[in-house]
Amino acid sequence: MSLLHRIEHLHDVFAWEGDMPTQGRYTAGIAGERFFREIQEHGRFVGTVCTLCDITYVPPRLYCERCFEHLDEWVEVPTTGRVYTFTTVHLDLDGNHLPEPRLMAFVQLDGADGGLVHYVGEAQPEDICIGMRVEAVFKDKEERKGSILDIAYFRPISTG
Amino acid sequence: MKEFVYDSVYLRSRDFEQGLALFETWDPNARYAWDAGVAIGGYLKGLKAGKLVGRFCPQCARVMIPPRMFCEHCFCATDYWVDLQDTGTVITYSLCYVTWDMARLEEPLIPAVIEIDGASPGMGIMHMLGDVEPDAVEIGMRVQAVWKPAAERTGAITDIAHFKPLDRP
Repeated sequence: MSLLHRIEHLHDVFAWEGDMPTQGRYTAGIAGERFFREIQEHGRFVGTVCTLCDITYVPPRLYCERCFEHLDEWVEVPTTGRVYTFTTVHLDLDGNHLPEPRLMAFVQLDGADGGLVHYVGEAQPEDICIGMRVEAVFKDKEERKGSILDIAYFRPISTG
Repeated sequence: MKEFVYDSVYLRSRDFEQGLALFETWDPNARYAWDAGVAIGGYLKGLKAGKLVGRFCPQCARVMIPPRMFCEHCFCATDYWVDLQDTGTVITYSLCYVTWDMARLEEPLIPAVIEIDGASPGMGIMHMLGDVEPDAVEIGMRVQAVWKPAAERTGAITDIAHFKPLDRP
């Protein structure tokens, strides 16, 4: 008999099933808190600047990732940017099919060295392209909760 | 580089309850299944079918229960399955007046190690004795498995309800 057995039928396997009740809370942190509060209260993006490295961090960091300098210079950056890369999402986090596929993009924000991964709305998959100019669409202020989803989506800027 | 120490921020439960701190909650789906393995899997399958099975070591010619894929004496791969009796002999036992979670019991539980007939000497399993007065239990007592009805068996050691004294002829 070989030592390795290939399981060919699931009912041949005896397994004990269990569940571990766990719950996590993930705080935004000091810089993240300020970033989301600015979105919630004012519908604008802020970042931190490392003058030594000439980097503007959006989302903001408290420390420069390159030189570890503490960052206390805050700047507002535009809510516009360009599509750095994109994809069409068909499945949710549990692997179920979405009622409608959704467009997602990494948006490189103007005036910043970072960007945000978010939905792209008011656009069809065939419309989107790398380098496309987009702008953030915020939810109404009373619906905003200080979350990344306070941004409803990014939409193409009509070049008219 | 200038030195900087950020003021410590302590978060208390009210900071979360009153929405003073932004946070995400996350409930990971932590369901798991623990594979019983080939040897114990076959053992549990046997229990579901209402029989006790062991494994045979070709080198030291031992029949082992609970079954294992390797002989722990000679490290030799065990060879084949052996059907065993559901009768055996009490090797040791205990009268237990507390439950596992330390509740006091009036009537004791009687866990015992039972050497199974058909397996090599000393090869046994641990189970409960039942249908017996605590005073009547003794080492060397002959016992037999009391199986749950087939429909209630799930492939677990509890498919045997308990062991009861074997009526001597």
